[in-house]
Amino acid sequence: MSKKVTVASFDFTSCEGCQIELTNMGEHVFMGLLNHIEFVEFREAMSEKADAYDIALVEGSYSREIDRERLLEIRRKAKIVIAMGACATCGGINALKNHQNDWAENVYGDKASMPHLASAKALPISAVIKVDYELPGCPMNKEELVKVVNDLVHGKAPLIPDHPVCVECKARETVCRFELGDHCMGMVSRAGCGAPCPAHGIPCEGCRGFVSHPNYAALEKVLVEKAGFSRERAANKAQMFTSNYLEKLR
Amino acid sequence: MKSHFISDSDFSKFVESLIRSVRVVAPVAKKTKFSFETLESVSDLRLDYDVTILPPKKAIMPVKQELVRFNGNSIESAISAQDQVLLGVHFYDVKAIDMLDELFSQGHKDYNWLAYRQHTTIIASNVQKVSNRAFFASVGQGVQAKGHDGFLTKVSGGYVFDAISPKAEALVKQGTFKDASPAQVTEAKVANEKVLKECPETLKHSTEAVQKKVREAFKKEELWKQFSDQCFSCGSCNIVCPTCYCFDVQDEWNLDGTSGKRCRTWDGCMLGEFAQVSLGGGHTENFREERHTRFRHRMMRKATYLNDKLNGPACVGCGRCSSSCVPDIADPVKIINKIMEA
Repeated sequence: MSKKVTVASFDFTSCEGCQIELTNMGEHVFMGLLNHIEFVEFREAMSEKADAYDIALVEGSYSREIDRERLLEIRRKAKIVIAMGACATCGGINALKNHQNDWAENVYGDKASMPHLASAKALPISAVIKVDYELPGCPMNKEELVKVVNDLVHGKAPLIPDHPVCVECKARETVCRFELGDHCMGMVSRAGCGAPCPAHGIPCEGCRGFVSHPNYAALEKVLVEKAGFSRERAANKAQMFTSNYLEKLR
Repeated sequence: MKSHFISDSDFSKFVESLIRSVRVVAPVAKKTKFSFETLESVSDLRLDYDVTILPPKKAIMPVKQELVRFNGNSIESAISAQDQVLLGVHFYDVKAIDMLDELFSQGHKDYNWLAYRQHTTIIASNVQKVSNRAFFASVGQGVQAKGHDGFLTKVSGGYVFDAISPKAEALVKQGTFKDASPAQVTEAKVANEKVLKECPETLKHSTEAVQKKVREAFKKEELWKQFSDQCFSCGSCNIVCPTCYCFDVQDEWNLDGTSGKRCRTWDGCMLGEFAQVSLGGGHTENFREERHTRFRHRMMRKATYLNDKLNGPACVGCGRCSSSCVPDIADPVKIINKIMEA
């Protein structure tokens, strides 16, 4: 094998859980991948910095103007930018604050005026820079990351599913949440996770974002008619991970 | 064909001994529903099920199936079919498996399907409880259930077992079966006729009339838009369908960049990406981009396009699509009856 593909990892507004997932891959997979790639910058695991890299993995949402320049710099230095996880691909759980004004007081109380809390709406990094591939999920699916990086290293076009979670629930024969009197957002949410939440009794909250063409009007209707939501609650349901999607639809 | 009788207690012993000698795939409870699983104990067996979430075709063609393994230039088949008994298949699912046998044997044979199918003994069983969306009595009435090896019918004190193939006769030798009495044979016949009168939903027109009129409705765009207004394109109706057989093929490369495997996964024509094809150079074209065209395609496939190949519709009336559709718009009975009355 010729020169290894260089990879750098960065984080913005996030819990850094996706980068931790990177280190959770298990020795076998991680070392296998390391035969083909070389990390040149990765705050979680090393102190070196790099001037250029083939692939930049970016975790976290864009929520502060001061992060703009850093994102642009990453884009300048990287051949390929991969947005990693829900925050980087759709604003993630940070976007919960996008429709609220009193979050700082509620969360931080008398420390609400700490300077680093000064932030704008949480947006995907694609709001600032061109993103080549998006790895959705909270956290991102580490097997999917390995697959995408592996595909890129070996010259195959990576494939991220663009169909709803229902496909994966049916495939593993999970009894539908609606069948059990519950609600769910799986019908508008992007699959690829393997649908673990409904299988364990939790409705899908769409951590991988919406599919390209979500039928949100139909979702509102079933949330009201089948899950007993109020019209207002149904209209505003998709604000946990998918607030930015919902805003775009309106 | 010979009719045997086995008592309830002897049947349990028979199934227990069967489990010890071969993989038995049969209906078991899954929360409020049922699914076909590898049977671990006869106490898990639920022949009183109404309908399973996925059809039993999954025992022959799993949701995800390895087709070939490759390493450099060497390629080997991943087929490793072992004998299995598919127990407790309702007659409508027998019909569906028979349709897939037919479709996978025509033209380019599907050697994967055929290999696993050949190793499968199908023991059907009577419908003891009709599911709340079933319409199996009124769809494809001219199509007989065939291709199964034996048929079990619950009667008082045990089961009448019709041994259809030599495979079934061989199974009879493994259990304590007696000849069924004329009264038991009659009881079984009555039970199987009775469920045909219990379907909650009914198609009102003949297969031929439906085929003609649904086909003619192709150009009624507004009608299909109305039907599909609440459609999520979630593919649930496809994935749970016993006669759907489309799949997607993808290569999965190992980290070494030289070896890997080629797998197929069940696909569905209702999914937005189903008809997306490559134009080369990173460009794609989707020839069924709008959801009403996908919705229409599914009905055309079920009620018209395949009729000549199958001598009937590609639908067996199990009602799985109707009950798996959250907005409840996938029910072929409602769609077809509406088209017929339009």
